[in-house]
Amino acid sequence: MKTLSTLILIFTLAIGTAQAQKYVTKSGNIRFFSSTPMEDIEAHNRQVNSALDQQTGDFVFRLLMKSFQFEKALMQEHFNENYVESDKFPNATFTGKVTNINNIDFAKNGVYNVMVEGDLTIKGVTKKVSEKGTFEVKDGRVNGKSTFNVLVEDYGIKIPGAVAKNIAKSIQIDVDVNLEKLVK
Amino acid sequence: MKKKWLIITGSLAAVGIVAALLVYFFVYNKPHKDYSKAKPDFEVEAITFFEEFRTNAAASSSRYNGKVIAITGQLSSVEVTDEQVVAVFEIDEGMFGSEGIRCVLIPEKAEALMSIPPGSSITIKGHCTGYNETDVILEHCSIVI
Repeated sequence: MKTLSTLILIFTLAIGTAQAQKYVTKSGNIRFFSSTPMEDIEAHNRQVNSALDQQTGDFVFRLLMKSFQFEKALMQEHFNENYVESDKFPNATFTGKVTNINNIDFAKNGVYNVMVEGDLTIKGVTKKVSEKGTFEVKDGRVNGKSTFNVLVEDYGIKIPGAVAKNIAKSIQIDVDVNLEKLVK
Repeated sequence: MKKKWLIITGSLAAVGIVAALLVYFFVYNKPHKDYSKAKPDFEVEAITFFEEFRTNAAASSSRYNGKVIAITGQLSSVEVTDEQVVAVFEIDEGMFGSEGIRCVLIPEKAEALMSIPPGSSITIKGHCTGYNETDVILEHCSIVI
C-alpha cells in the first residue's frame, strides 16, 4: 500500500513537471533604430508573439515585417518593398533558449540577467545569435528586455548607394516583452 | 538675342529645380494612408478568413497581405494597453493560448469599440499584415458597423 502511494506521488510529480509553465505575449514590442549623421530612422512593431518555457528555457519570437510602423510612409514603403521584401518574407523569427534559465526564480520578484542563444531568421536568412538581456519578474509576470545590434548585410539586405549614407550598416534592436502565464 | 535665350533657359532650369525639390519634399513627407477611408479589397467572414490562412498560409499571404480587409465576426474581447487597443476574434485554441484575428485600432477610432460588448457581431476593416502562425493581424483598423 505504501509502495502504491509512493508510486502515485512520483507519477503526480512527473505529470506536474511535464506540464511546465509557459509565459506568453501577443503584443510584445520590438523597435529598431538606425542612426547616421544624415538622419535617424526608427520603427516599432507592437504585435510581436513570444513564448517562454520556464522549465526548458525555450524562448521563441515571431513577428510580421509589415507590422513595423514608421514615422514616414515613404520609409515604410521602401523598407517593405526594397529592403526586407516583406511580400516574399512576411515573418521574422527567433528560436532559441535562455541558457541560464535555472538562475531565475520565477516566484521571487527581482531583475535577473539572462543569456539568450539561438537562431534569428530575417529575410529568409538564419544566423546564430547570442545576446544578453534582463528578466524582471514581478508578481508572476516577466518583463523581458534586450538591446543588441544586427548587421544588415548579414541578412542579405542591400541598401542602394543613393541612400547608403542615410541608413546605418548596423541596426539597433530593442526588445521589450511583457510575458504572462499561459492560462489553459 | 543670345542673352534672351540665356534668360529663358536659366528660368526654365530654375523652375525645374524648384519643381523637383517640391516633388521630392512631398514624396519624402507623404502622409500615411488613411485606412479608415479606404475601400476594402476583400469583405470576408472572420472564421473563413482565419481558416484560409491556417490551411494555406502561403497562398493566403500573397492574396491578403498588404490589402484592406473588412472582416465580420463575433467580437471575443478588447485588449487595452497604454500603447494600443486591440479587438480580438478568438477562433481556436492552440499551444500558446487562443488563436484568431487581432485587429489593432487606429487610436482615434478606438473609442467606438469601447461601447460594444463582447459577443456582438461586428465588422472591422484594416490593413492585413499577415499570419504569424497563431493569429492574423490587421493594423490601422476602424469599425464599419
